[in-house]
Amino acid sequence: MNFLSNLISGLSLGSIYALIALGYTMVYGIAKMLNFAHGDIIMVGAFTCVVFITNMGMHPAVGVLASVVVCVVVGVLVERIAYKPLRSAPPLSVLITAIGVSYFLQSLAQLIFGTNQKSFPKFISLSPITIGQLTIKGESVVTMAVTVVIMAALTLFISKTRMGKAMRAVSEDKQAAELMGISVNRTITITFAIGSALASVAGSFYGLTYGFVGPYSGSMPGIKAFVAAVFGGIGSIPGAMLGGILLGVIENMAKAYISTELSDAIVFGVLIAVLLVKPTGLLGKKTNEKV
Amino acid sequence: MLKVDNLNVYYGKIHAVKDLSFQVNEGEIVSLIGANGAGKSTTLKTISGLLHPKGGSITFLDKDITRAPAHSLPAMGLAHVPEGRRVFLQMSVQENLEMGAFTRSGDISRDIKDIYRRFPRLEERKNQPAGTLSGGEQQMLAMGRAMMSKPRLLILDEPSMGLAPILVQQIFDIIKELHRRGTTILLVEQNAEMALSIAHRAYVLESGRIVLSGTGKQLSESEDIKKAYLGGH
Repeated sequence: MNFLSNLISGLSLGSIYALIALGYTMVYGIAKMLNFAHGDIIMVGAFTCVVFITNMGMHPAVGVLASVVVCVVVGVLVERIAYKPLRSAPPLSVLITAIGVSYFLQSLAQLIFGTNQKSFPKFISLSPITIGQLTIKGESVVTMAVTVVIMAALTLFISKTRMGKAMRAVSEDKQAAELMGISVNRTITITFAIGSALASVAGSFYGLTYGFVGPYSGSMPGIKAFVAAVFGGIGSIPGAMLGGILLGVIENMAKAYISTELSDAIVFGVLIAVLLVKPTGLLGKKTNEKV
Repeated sequence: MLKVDNLNVYYGKIHAVKDLSFQVNEGEIVSLIGANGAGKSTTLKTISGLLHPKGGSITFLDKDITRAPAHSLPAMGLAHVPEGRRVFLQMSVQENLEMGAFTRSGDISRDIKDIYRRFPRLEERKNQPAGTLSGGEQQMLAMGRAMMSKPRLLILDEPSMGLAPILVQQIFDIIKELHRRGTTILLVEQNAEMALSIAHRAYVLESGRIVLSGTGKQLSESEDIKKAYLGGH
């Protein structure tokens, strides 16, 4: 029973990683860049919840909605101001800029909220669900359920809608997509908006799980979600889902059965092992050489 | 319909297109021929907005499109089948056709059926990724995809490249049929003989400049052209 309950908290943590990893992988797939500021969007989302729910006393639903809107605006602005001018710059310049944006967002949060962590409003208070000897936290259930719905919706959006197909076209061949009448810039903006919205949801769940948010709260889950995206195969949407969930489970199992201190080392160790065997990640496709 | 005036394009530091002027009238098949690196593809990419010129102007249907972004042109009636086909390899055949109609609103299923009637091979493979098609099938898909936007001017860059002679013939038959049905065609080809055989008018490019122009018939009978581009017979 202990094993099962560890597995479920792993799945719940993994759901959060998966939501964040989707943003990494979609932006990479479409803009061909690693947005290392993506993790900090989680922090922006969590702080927005604190402001709206704790400070202003708004209804949690309003707070969560506001956090989605704020994250989308911040994500799109970051893309417009910091990344768009670098569209034809070498990848390294874009990468360094992304790291700069990450520090900028962290410092901005420090300036506004101070360096101390703030307690996150516990706006979902479900009583734990008990099945026999197994007890599942209410937040875990909500986290997993919402993640499943989001993943299903995103999969449908990408595979069936006109815009989703256009995103796949841009990710494959930008010039050919332009020739079809698809605006690459607009598609990149939409991708950042979707990624940031997912990160804001992840931010709410992360806050609920740990109960605190600080200026650096986005950094560790951001890095782990990036690892998850690479683990699953960067650029692949099912890969990010699988990678995120597996990473959460591995992390939780390592904490439970090996060592809490070593759990992060084990997580990154698994990544290294997988990449040695399969450099493109679990579901990553080998990219074709352009002729 | 299309008027290119005094166009100058740089590809990096290379002055790839120099003072180029030519035009395509409604209802024509016009061909640009010339050796590798003569500036043919650069010219086409500049017309369709993938490259931007240093100087000169491009007018399409009386509108200045010199600096128009590429994605704004399909809705204006200009479609470009790029060199190397550039179909979306990981997307299905049907999805590729849908992308061709991206800027159109309304029902496109009739037009997709129409493409399938013309290219039965594509219908057989409509749910397969385009990457599994042969070179000839990919060329047909690329052309079908461009036709989905209902273009008034269709720009074709090396449609016969890398294809077996029988397929080349088939591709040219399709071009002729599209033209019969009212599409104006601007064709770039290294296969000068085929290109001149269907073109009303043609321009010969050499290091970024037009060195000769005339009707397809005149040029295919010209001694210079025969020597330089038609294998000397």
